[in-house]
Amino acid sequence: MTITAPNPLREGLRLAWTPEPAALVIFGGSGDLTARKLVPALYNLALQRLLPASFAVVGAARRKMTSDEFRRELHDAVAEYSRTRPIHDDVWSSFEKTIHYVPTPDERGYDELGRTLDRIDGEMGTGGNRLFYLATPPAAYEPIIRSIGAHGLRGSSGWSRVVIEKPYGHDLASAMELTAVVHEVFRENEVFRIDHYLGKETVQNILVLRFANGIFEPIWTRQYVDHVQITVAETLGIEERAEYYDRSGAMRDIVQNHLLQLLALVGMEPPAAFDDRSVRDEKVKVLRALRPITAAEAPHQTVQAQYTDGFIAGERVAAYRAEEGVPASSTTETFVALKCFIDNWRWEGIPFYLRTGKRMPKRSTEIAIRFRVAPHRIFTKAASDGVEANELVLRIQPDEGISLTFGAKVPVQGLRIRTVNMDFGYGAAFMVDAPDAYETLILDALRGDATLFTRRDEVEQQWSFVDPIREAWQKGGPPLETYAAGSWGPAAADTLLERDGRSWRRP
Amino acid sequence: MTIVDEQFWGAPAASITAIERDLARLRRAAVAHAMERGQSVARAAVLNLVVYAEREVHARRAADSIGQLALRHPSRAIVVLGDREREGAEARIQLHCHVQQDDGQDQICYEQILARVRGDYDARVASVVTPLLVPDLPVFLWWTGTPPAKAQRMDDLLALSDRLIFDSADFARPDRTLAEISEFAPHGVAMTDLNWARLTPWRELVAQFFDVPVWREYLDHLVGVRIGFGVDMDGRDIHPSQALLLFTWIASRLGWHAVESLAPSEAGGLLFRIARADGASVMVRLRPRFERGVETGDVSGIRLQASRGGDTAEFVLKLSLDRRHVTATAIVGGAQRSERVVPFPDLGIQALLGEELTIAGSDRVYEDALETLVRLA
Repeated sequence: MTITAPNPLREGLRLAWTPEPAALVIFGGSGDLTARKLVPALYNLALQRLLPASFAVVGAARRKMTSDEFRRELHDAVAEYSRTRPIHDDVWSSFEKTIHYVPTPDERGYDELGRTLDRIDGEMGTGGNRLFYLATPPAAYEPIIRSIGAHGLRGSSGWSRVVIEKPYGHDLASAMELTAVVHEVFRENEVFRIDHYLGKETVQNILVLRFANGIFEPIWTRQYVDHVQITVAETLGIEERAEYYDRSGAMRDIVQNHLLQLLALVGMEPPAAFDDRSVRDEKVKVLRALRPITAAEAPHQTVQAQYTDGFIAGERVAAYRAEEGVPASSTTETFVALKCFIDNWRWEGIPFYLRTGKRMPKRSTEIAIRFRVAPHRIFTKAASDGVEANELVLRIQPDEGISLTFGAKVPVQGLRIRTVNMDFGYGAAFMVDAPDAYETLILDALRGDATLFTRRDEVEQQWSFVDPIREAWQKGGPPLETYAAGSWGPAAADTLLERDGRSWRRP
Repeated sequence: MTIVDEQFWGAPAASITAIERDLARLRRAAVAHAMERGQSVARAAVLNLVVYAEREVHARRAADSIGQLALRHPSRAIVVLGDREREGAEARIQLHCHVQQDDGQDQICYEQILARVRGDYDARVASVVTPLLVPDLPVFLWWTGTPPAKAQRMDDLLALSDRLIFDSADFARPDRTLAEISEFAPHGVAMTDLNWARLTPWRELVAQFFDVPVWREYLDHLVGVRIGFGVDMDGRDIHPSQALLLFTWIASRLGWHAVESLAPSEAGGLLFRIARADGASVMVRLRPRFERGVETGDVSGIRLQASRGGDTAEFVLKLSLDRRHVTATAIVGGAQRSERVVPFPDLGIQALLGEELTIAGSDRVYEDALETLVRLA
């Protein structure tokens, strides 16, 4: 392989960092994720001129289909799901030429896939660079990865990487087993595990807020922080995912990945650099410091609940057990609240309250940092009644922004103090459409930047925290509570905080 | 005294203190108005923008653009309208202010102040602008028209600013004027040429060809560069500065050096030779071409020719007639290897300015291209 000097024209500001020429192989090419997310994201990248001059997409799936049929399907999918519409026909028809489809119903299909990739390398100059994207149900991950290895689909030159969708395992043992299979074919630095929450602007916003500013970090400690609340609330039910969801539940669907990721971002120490290794090292350190919740503690520190029928935005919605595809006796949790501690110098003794639920009254993801009250009150009680502790809220969705509450004097004679809200919206300060999470993630994977992907040890730490709680639940832990759809969860969740003299924020 | 369009510029104010008072009052009114509709107003200024114009149309056009950009870049804009024609007239300063809001969900206010100065105002402009700046936020100075080489008004305003924005599209002798600007701009003030910003998509697309490893090798073996740019139907108004900057960008990145100076060719174009880093010569032709829809001076296409031994390659970018996309073609070794259609962005003044306002530092690559241009002059 000849070593090519870097492109001298690439230097400088303004020019986006386009990835090297490559072929993207999507397993599960005929599936939902490909049509709804991946290909619309690729098309939007093409619109932004962010795809390399030499680029090919190869769909692979069991279904028999020609490349032309595949293109037609994707055209319709992009027309329906792209964030920019209508379709720019000239761009699409040029982009479409780079799309291929290879049916892989059996091992011979993989040989054909290999030949197609070699041909693309020759014709397009993609140089053997290959990104394998597993957009299949999790059961297919292991056989596909083994076939990639067995059929030598990694190019003889260039790089190969693999993107694996969530869920990554269903407990620690299965995650480790999957990793073992992945490592038969790929090195860890070639593995990109997706948590699409990390592709949102948020993550970078949290890191910028914390580490590009001098004023927040000094008070980001147990001396000044009273507690932290992280909420991931969805108004949706389980839609068409009954089969998956009923086996998974909120703990595995949201807590294990999204909530623990947010916790890690808020709790981590400053990394030495903004690169994949430093950032992920720090995240793992926090997760490792997370105090395990034992079976004895589970009843006091965790709450699990399932929604009954109720109202969302004025519409009547069915109970979880009445949803299509859910067994009438299901004990799957759709709501989790828990209290946990990070055992390190910075956070010793400061509770982190996490909650997530389906069929909540409002869609909202946010992190609230509640500070301690002023140590000594110099104002009369009458004047300062209603003044609350300062709170810094990082809103993640919808309407990303930051708000800070503080006490201010009401401009009248005499002294009255009221809590006011200083609010910053990213949308208001920078009126730019944020890219879709999948655009960011695909582009990063093509560039080889793993900062926003989950590393092996991170996944394992996450499962190590979640597994014992689930075991405790199975052994009788806290009982499964119920809550009406459209409420903020069961009374037990409120009690969890009331015991500590605190209460949940209303997002 | 000329009458100021108060509908557009807002009511006159008696003094700078009065302006602050008026702005506060207008902001309060905006809040009250929004509250009636159950909305709230955010005052999230991210920058100060000082616009200097010597003609009312320019001032107004600039104010319009900024007003629409307010959504992306909430700001306080101070438009200085200088009327130098009326020399001898009594120097006076007229102030107007106005708070603009968007009617959408997010109520954002944008504050615009007009300072109309006339007569011999060179020494006093800065004293009007300084107290009106929002503290601590960066100051962008947008100079409409050609920046003067030696003028106190320019020096004083530059001293307040972090960034100077101008547009070399209209410069009659871009090579000379750009050289002058690079000389007088003080250290620490970053320069933004909107005409350079127009080149970003072109530069991106040229660079992308050479991301492909097997094509990159041709970069050291370029033998010809041809760039087409728009001209009006009569072919009288020739503004080659954009095409020149695109060329000098390539030349500076590849370490080429001037061997002859810019020579005019037929039909108002430029034809000259330049030496590659290895000494071999490259023929350069910048050609004005009338094409419907292409603005005067805007680049409409580029062709790079390479020859290595007996092996040739061509890399061509061509803007479509509707200006919505570019066809990028690479022909390597005689056989067509790749053709793709890439969307071409809207390069209206607002889009350009909006992009530029997100960048705070100076652009070394631009400065290098400029240096090469100055050496060709």
